[in-house]
Amino acid sequence: MPTRTNETWLSDLHDNGLARELALEDLRAIIQKGLPFALSRWLSPDQPQFNALVEEVTQETLLRVLDQLDTFEGRSQFTTWVHKIAVRIALTELRRKRWRDSSLDELTENEDVPPPPGLLADPQAGPETSAERADMIERVRRIIQEELTERQRQALILLGVQDMPMEDAARKLKTNRNALYKLLHDARLRLRRRLSMEDISPNEVLTLFEQK
Amino acid sequence: MNIRNLIRRIRNSLHLRKELPNEAVLGFLRVLEDVREEEIPCSEIYSKLDEYVEREVSKKDAAKLMPLIREHLDVCSECCEEYEALLNVINENSKS
Repeated sequence: MPTRTNETWLSDLHDNGLARELALEDLRAIIQKGLPFALSRWLSPDQPQFNALVEEVTQETLLRVLDQLDTFEGRSQFTTWVHKIAVRIALTELRRKRWRDSSLDELTENEDVPPPPGLLADPQAGPETSAERADMIERVRRIIQEELTERQRQALILLGVQDMPMEDAARKLKTNRNALYKLLHDARLRLRRRLSMEDISPNEVLTLFEQK
Repeated sequence: MNIRNLIRRIRNSLHLRKELPNEAVLGFLRVLEDVREEEIPCSEIYSKLDEYVEREVSKKDAAKLMPLIREHLDVCSECCEEYEALLNVINENSKS
């Protein structure tokens, strides 16, 4: 495979003939070489869905690269920019699939199975610690309830309780990932200010739940 | 407080008590210490992620040079996952 500079990649991909075809072929190989490392935390190459996902992501990445070619600003290697696009496509797809599967699992779970014990029910915690925990979590829950807007709470439930991916949660709330992040950021700032006014330190609360 | 607000608060309270388990409350608290007043959106992180990762791989102390990106990655799990995935790829490429 020839080594291309950023400029050569751009000129080859803008070409209408053989140069573009060759560049796309090389780019395909580059994406497919990178994806196993990008996905290593999520999926191993011996899993049955691996090859299909890699193929799907590669196709989508090539289309998006061509579509967004003029937005490449040259602040990194061209191939790093391409890998970044592949990573976004791959993780968005994986998150969506995983979330759909886990939601299905929850729907089909036997209702008689008791829920997993919560942190308050830690059998190793002494009675005083348990009471202190119960008191603290109630205070924090009350503050969340008073400080956060309905929409902020909805976002918190979708992301923190239902584990929904941000892209999907944003769609459900009829917004986008940026605005959803801003919504959560504002919620965090409000909560932090209020906790500070009430003299509650988030770290102290967390420590209380970590101690036996 | 008008009656509509009161009803909303009661409804929210019931809703929250039913659906917000302790683990979710604690999860929300976990990132609070790292939240900064100044914040940049996910799209801006994404647009600079390739540059950030390259700096990181070439040991240019990306976090110091682009501190707002590091701070965002500390509180945004999805951007952080994308950062780690890209870092894995570029790290491997730099070995070969």
